[in-house]
Amino acid sequence: MSFPARATIETARLILRQPVPRDVDAAVAFYVSERAQYSGGNVPMSHAFRNFASILGHWQIRGFGLWAITTRDSDAILGLAGPYYPHGWPETEIGYVLFDGAEGHGFATEAARATITDARSRLGWGEIVHYISPENARSIAVAERLGATLDPQAATPGHGKPCLVYRQPKPEAVS
Amino acid sequence: MTDALTRAPRLETERLILRGPERRDAAPIMRFLMDPVRSEGFGHIPERGEAWRWFALLVGHWHIHGFGYFVIETRDTGQTAGISGIWYPETWPEPELGWVVFDGFEGRGIAYEAASRARLWAYHELGLQTLTSNIVPGNDRSKTLATRLGAVYERTYMNENMGEDELWRHPAPQALAVRHSEGTT
Repeated sequence: MSFPARATIETARLILRQPVPRDVDAAVAFYVSERAQYSGGNVPMSHAFRNFASILGHWQIRGFGLWAITTRDSDAILGLAGPYYPHGWPETEIGYVLFDGAEGHGFATEAARATITDARSRLGWGEIVHYISPENARSIAVAERLGATLDPQAATPGHGKPCLVYRQPKPEAVS
Repeated sequence: MTDALTRAPRLETERLILRGPERRDAAPIMRFLMDPVRSEGFGHIPERGEAWRWFALLVGHWHIHGFGYFVIETRDTGQTAGISGIWYPETWPEPELGWVVFDGFEGRGIAYEAASRARLWAYHELGLQTLTSNIVPGNDRSKTLATRLGAVYERTYMNENMGEDELWRHPAPQALAVRHSEGTT
């Protein structure tokens, strides 16, 4: 690999680790639920399984992927956050989703912020975007808390659904 | 990065190598999935990004179950000729012995040779006691091959992806051993 491997990312309250097979039930439960409608979910169970298995596969193929969000108290997966770059994505994305019951604590923001730092320093990512459904107000709020701004000129993933692109400021502009 | 994306073993037959998926297999597998005619009985995926995510699913399936689809490679030319293996995503009634041969590799008995080897591996190495193949009603080619493999039609069920789907049951490990000793392979 052209970048060093990393097992976990730790934040004040969270431990981010690679998703593993035992996460499948929680992930499938999320993707079949209506709350996953803006995250490629609210889909039949076979499709939900595909979503999760392809996240594991993305890690193997790319060497990075969406991290499982866990707390320091429990290894149970609460959501996913991190670098996502499947075939057809115009730019490198930091994605984030929280499963049912994990919202309202700022976990998505805390996890995504740590994975942005890691993607910049370890993976060498320059441009970082968040692809968000226009109706997903909560996700837009997280993007704004993460310092991203709407980029109306940016290309969107060609999946035919309306999509906003929020862009992180360049690293040099931050410092 | 290493080529291996899974811990799949490498199996050999007279003409074929069955191995885990590698990055270079993404293109031929995506081409197959996006071809509406070739992939009709398997699950056609028109959109390129979706097809890539199906390839990622193929990799992830190995990690979840410890088994999955092997990539079929020809020993003489090293080309990716298709996929065959044990498939068991959520909602599948039982682990399935599946096979698909890509454009240009049909008519040579490749699917039969690969599926026979994958089935032996599933019985001997995974310890499975039975196997089924899921075949859509109109897929006569696959039914012919299933019959040649000794499988028989058992029932029709509703598959969430494929709609009406037929379940074909393969000979159990002992019955298969008898078939082999009688030279019916």
